[in-house]
Amino acid sequence: MKLQTEILIIGGGATGAGILRDLSLRGIPSLLIEKGDFLSGASGRNHGLFHSGGRYVVSDPEAARECIAENRILRKIAPHCIEETDGFFVSLPEDGPDFRDRFIQACKDANVPAHLLSRDEALSLEPGLTPTLLSAVKVPDGAIDPFELVLSNAKDAETYGGKFLLHTGVTSLLMEENKVKTVLAKDLLHGEEYQIEASHIINATGAWADEFLKLAGLRVAMALSKGSMLITNQRLTHRVINRCRPPSDGDIIVPNHTVSILGTTSVRLEDAENFEVTPQEVSRLIRETSRMIPAIEEARFIRAYAGIRPLFQSEEKGDDRAISRGFVLIDHGKKDGIKNLITITGGKLVTYRLMAEKTSDLLCQKMGIHAPCSTHLKPLPGAGKLSGLKDRLKTLGKSETLCDCELVRKEEVEEVLKEGKLKNLQDILHRTRLAKGTCQGGFCVYRLLGILNESGLAEGDSNNILKGFLEERWKGIRPILWGSAVKEEELMEGIYKGLFNL
Amino acid sequence: MHYDLIIIGMGLSGLMAAKTAVEAGKKVLIIGKGLGCLTLFSNTIDVLGIPLLAGPETTRLRDGLSQWIYDHPEHPYGKVGVEKIEEALSSFNSLFPPPYTFQSRNETNSLIPTGVGTFRPTYLIPSTMMRGIALKEKKTLLIGFKGYKDFYSQRLADSFECRGATLSLPESPSTEITATALARWMEQPSFREFIGTEVKKQIRDEELIGVPAVLGVNDPMGVRKDLEKKIGASVFEIPILPPSIPGMRIFNRFKERLIRRGVTFLIGHPVSKVTLNEKRCEGIEIAHPPVTTSYSADHYILATGRFMGGGLEADRERILEPIFNLPVFQPGSQEDWFGRFFFDKHPIHRMGILTDSSLHPIDERGKPILENVWVAGTILAGHHYLDEKSREGIEIATGYWSAKKAMEG
Repeated sequence: MKLQTEILIIGGGATGAGILRDLSLRGIPSLLIEKGDFLSGASGRNHGLFHSGGRYVVSDPEAARECIAENRILRKIAPHCIEETDGFFVSLPEDGPDFRDRFIQACKDANVPAHLLSRDEALSLEPGLTPTLLSAVKVPDGAIDPFELVLSNAKDAETYGGKFLLHTGVTSLLMEENKVKTVLAKDLLHGEEYQIEASHIINATGAWADEFLKLAGLRVAMALSKGSMLITNQRLTHRVINRCRPPSDGDIIVPNHTVSILGTTSVRLEDAENFEVTPQEVSRLIRETSRMIPAIEEARFIRAYAGIRPLFQSEEKGDDRAISRGFVLIDHGKKDGIKNLITITGGKLVTYRLMAEKTSDLLCQKMGIHAPCSTHLKPLPGAGKLSGLKDRLKTLGKSETLCDCELVRKEEVEEVLKEGKLKNLQDILHRTRLAKGTCQGGFCVYRLLGILNESGLAEGDSNNILKGFLEERWKGIRPILWGSAVKEEELMEGIYKGLFNL
Repeated sequence: MHYDLIIIGMGLSGLMAAKTAVEAGKKVLIIGKGLGCLTLFSNTIDVLGIPLLAGPETTRLRDGLSQWIYDHPEHPYGKVGVEKIEEALSSFNSLFPPPYTFQSRNETNSLIPTGVGTFRPTYLIPSTMMRGIALKEKKTLLIGFKGYKDFYSQRLADSFECRGATLSLPESPSTEITATALARWMEQPSFREFIGTEVKKQIRDEELIGVPAVLGVNDPMGVRKDLEKKIGASVFEIPILPPSIPGMRIFNRFKERLIRRGVTFLIGHPVSKVTLNEKRCEGIEIAHPPVTTSYSADHYILATGRFMGGGLEADRERILEPIFNLPVFQPGSQEDWFGRFFFDKHPIHRMGILTDSSLHPIDERGKPILENVWVAGTILAGHHYLDEKSREGIEIATGYWSAKKAMEG
């Protein structure tokens, strides 16, 4: 099928969806294509920290300034995606006061509000902290729901005429002199092929930026850095807890709805597709984070996962954490003579909007049109709605609960199904809290498949889908199997291998 | 209080041990911190569902078992032997006189339909499930209930190539219905009247009606008979997600019979301490704060199950047996416990307590550890009960055999 658009965006992460919304609000016809679902890359595989910038004030003040500015904007335009928890930077005896004092000064310089709390003040607010702590610095960190954020962007973009095709991957680029003439793409689930013509193409593929550019005969120096995380079965703290020391492994604990996420590690990778959490990473994360919250030693974990940070590498440096978390916008017209191609990469989830704004500004400049950005002013759809646990509790008993761990109602899933466009099981799981709780979908996915069948939406053999889900689930479960998690696993195996003989 | 035998664990193996001992005139105490896994998983009695024994028209179970024991001498079945396994199964069967009986078809495994649209090889089948075997040959209608989220008749009908229907139930206090609630309602004539009428409206030319396994806890055959009369077709049950109503039937039958024969049941409290003297267990304590009670016996049977039952515990490095601190057979480190894929045969399942042929716990060198303690059930090492489909068989056989051996010892 032939498609035509003014702008073609490749990549459905926060950046791509943010650009689609920004351009749509400016009235520029745009199409986004994504080889998986929205948030299949780093946008959906991070710890959900709503950065104040504190984490970067010492090592990367420029990224810190961007973070705090965007932090303030997102609180206004996307309150439904953010839990305003605040964060602590905790100093332990071995960290000493020197780094803390530098940290407080750097916060001042970067305009990040920071407030020093004594040991007792910190403990009275977060009793789970180790009593040996020296002090804590309070900063406006928070927790962000990346799924809600990206899907709200996509939804709003659609309202303003933006289009997207999911599960559609680029297969090749047809070049003509100094531009990309046609992008060939394919629906990866159903096989339909597209020839897409666009005046401009934006490479927002994150960790796949270099791989995409190779299709145009170009390269960009990317460092792929794996970060692994662990999820506990309950929320350990109200606030984000950071270690007040130079960024390192296992120095952050982020609350997320009913759970806490422990992060992270940093391991250089060559391949953006095949990676897993290693036992060494699991041990290190528990060892380091439990220094701040001792209860982590005994905590029950429900999943381990890893994501890839797409880091732009301007020059060779030893440690990936030393590479700037700021973003990079490359005009391949200026750099390589391909005049209708732009790459945007690097950056943070919290700065996605700014990245989209700068990319759209550059496009407008190249197109010679004047259309100012409005994403910093216009709230996202859903900004008025609440989505916390309290609301879920209110609706309990009013309809069948499909997921008993996260209180997801059947109606809620049926709403998502009505919106259509969902192509596989993972698409549905992305849009609800199904399979996010203690049993990790052991019960609710069985039920979901039943409902899909009842509503005539089931595609393919349900038991093959179920088996595929159980294998996918296993990747996150296997690294954390000890303690009560082994009991849960015995239950799951008892059902699917024993009782059901799958 | 002093007993002849104290059994720790109230799953199928513990209950079988209690039955065996009390029938021999012994004074028995059985302790369970919960109701055991019976009420979660057990529907039929799986003995050995390996491929050789997976279909109808195959090898007789007895022959398959002999071969299995020959090939796997370290398997719990190897300690008991075919003859005693059969004895144990008959002893189990004696608890279930007609109308609700457990039977095999021609002493072979049969394939019964499951709640996910597959078939499972199993040996002894309760009367309410027996007709499910014919699902492929006879025209069948599967019935689900609106609001009951653990059974999807349409999805199953697709898998089994038959027809499915979902009934709306009369006004219920909640929009959500559980298996236990359905089972209770099924015991009321007015509810059966309603179901019978509704199913009759749905039925075309089907001879068989498949329902989730919720035909009441107390009198499933009475419930079925009444439904069949109203519908005019045969009704059978299909095993579903936990909890298991048929498992509750088994548990209740054991409890009722054993209490009548004088077994003391202690439910809801874990053993908090055991007193050992040299190679003997001298007593146990149960803490139910603020009181701690001591019990002693000549013989003890450990039948605490695996991880779910609390018989085994895993920390980040090792697997432990928390009550007697018996050595747990566990080659390799934590990384080796599980395979790369969910459907792999995971090494952790083979781990457990090593015993000699009389089910006495032994150390790595084969030396008995405690003279008056025996071990029964899935906590034993050397089996893959999920992959082998041997859960209930191992529980019944080793529960029976451990009590026999304890009475000799």
